[in-house]
Amino acid sequence: MSPEGLAFAPVLLPLLGAAIVFLAKAFFRGRGAVIAEYTGVFTGLYLPWLALIFLFPVVINGSAVTGVIGHWNSGVGISYRFDGLAWMVNVLGYTLGGAAWLHSLSSGPKGPSFSAIFLIQTAALGAAIMTADLFNLFVSLEVLGISSYILVSSSEKPGAALASFSYLMVSSTAMVFFLLGLFGLYRITGSLSYEGIAAGSGHLEGNTLATAVISLSLLVGAIAIRVAVMPLYGWLPDAHALAPHAVSAVLSGVLIKTPLFALSRILILFPIGKEAGQLMSYAGAATALLAVIIALSQKDAKRLLAYHSISQIGYIVCTWGAAVAVGIGTKAGTLLMAAAFLHALFHAVFKGLLFLSIGSSVDAAGERDVYKLRGAVSILKRSGDKAAIAFFGFLVGALSISAIPPFNGFTSKTAMTYLLKYYGQSGTVLYWMLTVAGAGTAASFIKLSRIYWPGKDEAYRDLPDRKGALAVLPASVSILFLSLLCIAGGIFTPLIFRTVTALLSGSPLSMGEGFSFFSAGNLMKSLYTAGAGIFVFLLATGRRGGALLTKVRERPRSFQGLFVSYALAAAAMAGWLLYHAFL
Amino acid sequence: MKKSAVGSVFALLLISAVVLPVFLSSYQWPVTARDHLELKGVEESGATNLVSAIYLGYRAYDTLGETIVLLVAVTGTIGILKKAGAVLEDRHSFALPGEMRRANYMRTHLLEAVTSKLGPIVLLFGFYVMLYGHLSPGGGFQGGVVVASGIVFLALGSSGNASSALIRQDMLGRIEAVAFLMLLILSISGIFTGEGFLDNPLKHYSSLPAAFIIVLNIIIGLKVGAGIGVMCIIMLGKE
Repeated sequence: MSPEGLAFAPVLLPLLGAAIVFLAKAFFRGRGAVIAEYTGVFTGLYLPWLALIFLFPVVINGSAVTGVIGHWNSGVGISYRFDGLAWMVNVLGYTLGGAAWLHSLSSGPKGPSFSAIFLIQTAALGAAIMTADLFNLFVSLEVLGISSYILVSSSEKPGAALASFSYLMVSSTAMVFFLLGLFGLYRITGSLSYEGIAAGSGHLEGNTLATAVISLSLLVGAIAIRVAVMPLYGWLPDAHALAPHAVSAVLSGVLIKTPLFALSRILILFPIGKEAGQLMSYAGAATALLAVIIALSQKDAKRLLAYHSISQIGYIVCTWGAAVAVGIGTKAGTLLMAAAFLHALFHAVFKGLLFLSIGSSVDAAGERDVYKLRGAVSILKRSGDKAAIAFFGFLVGALSISAIPPFNGFTSKTAMTYLLKYYGQSGTVLYWMLTVAGAGTAASFIKLSRIYWPGKDEAYRDLPDRKGALAVLPASVSILFLSLLCIAGGIFTPLIFRTVTALLSGSPLSMGEGFSFFSAGNLMKSLYTAGAGIFVFLLATGRRGGALLTKVRERPRSFQGLFVSYALAAAAMAGWLLYHAFL
Repeated sequence: MKKSAVGSVFALLLISAVVLPVFLSSYQWPVTARDHLELKGVEESGATNLVSAIYLGYRAYDTLGETIVLLVAVTGTIGILKKAGAVLEDRHSFALPGEMRRANYMRTHLLEAVTSKLGPIVLLFGFYVMLYGHLSPGGGFQGGVVVASGIVFLALGSSGNASSALIRQDMLGRIEAVAFLMLLILSISGIFTGEGFLDNPLKHYSSLPAAFIIVLNIIIGLKVGAGIGVMCIIMLGKE
């Protein structure tokens, strides 16, 4: 099959899988329906790996599969571009999507409707990253959005419907402004394809430049909501905390990153895009630091993880923004972008792992409060997870996110902070902000690990054995798989990093002369950070620290606050870009 | 309450100020796409109705996405409805005193007689809108919604027992699933015939240039009609 046909496999196979699942629901009952459903899921979630393997030689040397869908004239048709970036984001999505769906067999929600929408969401991820057309990006984001609203609301938890509704309202509002921005750019350039927009916006001035700049800031604002950068994070904690575990894993691991990498395709078109990247970079560093403080104050286990997703996406946005600011085509830009992607990939793996293993643990105990739940290991053993694999998964995930060598979080955070300090604007400040956030992360996971500490588990002693060993098998397999990836990712980082740079720029690059991920300096730094983490943990559990964190946790949050923060963010981005465009 | 109102007004004013320059732009309107459509649109796509040439020809991929948005929205709505239970709390009756109805309190004989007669006509009109989408205003989405209202009419006029297979939930679910599969197969088939994704696979087999658009319109119409129809029937509830 031609590369043109194969490039669409990551989008079309999940859709085909969804169609099979819908057929299974409509025509079959009982065993037949389950077999047909699994066939659909296999087609949609695991078969695309074949296509990705065949596409690897095509994209590894920096070339791309491009064209217009349906072979129309490029001025009216939809352009697409399947390159190294699209390949990598697909790998990220399918790795976590496959593992998360497997976990849902144990933890729910089961059923054909869930599987079908899960598949459609996966397809939308693939579509969003390979499009080279602004309106098609809008459609992809809409499909992505509506499938995630439905998946969040499919949870049995009270409040899930409301969380899904807030997410829907704020992101639909932003999409209206995305559409306005799209209109503004079309008005000026007469094109929807990225190429056409770049060609049409070459030398603008005065009024027209202002229109282009504001349109761009509206696009960035709408995507920043999906990425949940400060101050646009308000919808995320509820949605991610209350969604079913498998959905939380995918939302945190994949969904918030895909729009970000899709955005880099747009920002590269405009000279002013660099300034947008710079502001996003600062916002990312602030996000990493502030979200970790809020995370430290949480008492719901999954909500704590949700705030860590915001914090970690802050790291990624910070590095990604710095890459955009120095220019994606340059060597520094490629290195920074590769580091950002590396952390996006590794975060997807370890955060997915954390959501799944914490999900298994709190389900077994029927308790999510970090301050109440104790002795989760023995609870897990009684619930059918004889080897306490969920605890093992948590341990690997927590060590990874706290950047302890040799786990994958250590290498990706080292790469990001090192490169930011070296290449980024005001890189030293960003470096220290991210390092302090790292200490907070370690502290917060010491706090979360207390649910596994042996202790007063009398309250849970008379829990009935609710699940057999067979029922937890899929969950255990997915947790083990992701744990393995965490360790392998850390050990093989130099190889992965070179591959990522090759996919981005066509030729493999290394971090720099004489740089080693596991050098004594880097190992010592991780030790210092972990030590600082213990110190912060002790501070936070102290009387004063506890009171302060309670205040942070109980801070007022409101529905209309989501919209006010969106307006503020869009205005700030527009103001920042106008300032740099005209002054 | 006061504070939230201030916040909302502030947000509204701020975002309006940001958006305003986009509307005030006096730059000349772009003409490339317009001229291309005017000169080549009918010839390239075979559709006299250029709107359908755009949404099923030039930008059919976007339409595929929008169809999926609708599919997911309908599936999600049905899921939420089924979880909430479709029980009518309010037992208020519209029936006239002489009717002495026991089932279907919310309906009257008059309503049932009119809707059951109108149903087939509305269905026919829906198929007309669907089939002639490439020539006149209309198309799969519009025709599908008309078909769905025909289905609702049939359901309203059925006096409790299914008079037509079209108002059975399982039947509509099957039509929707098959139509979605057909839509995908039709989109993909171009890859295997050597044309490419969403390129017209019927190019060499049909003398009618608009054949691909017509087939897409029919399939989308069936999918939309069945999907919205089943959602409305579930909303009507069982009594």
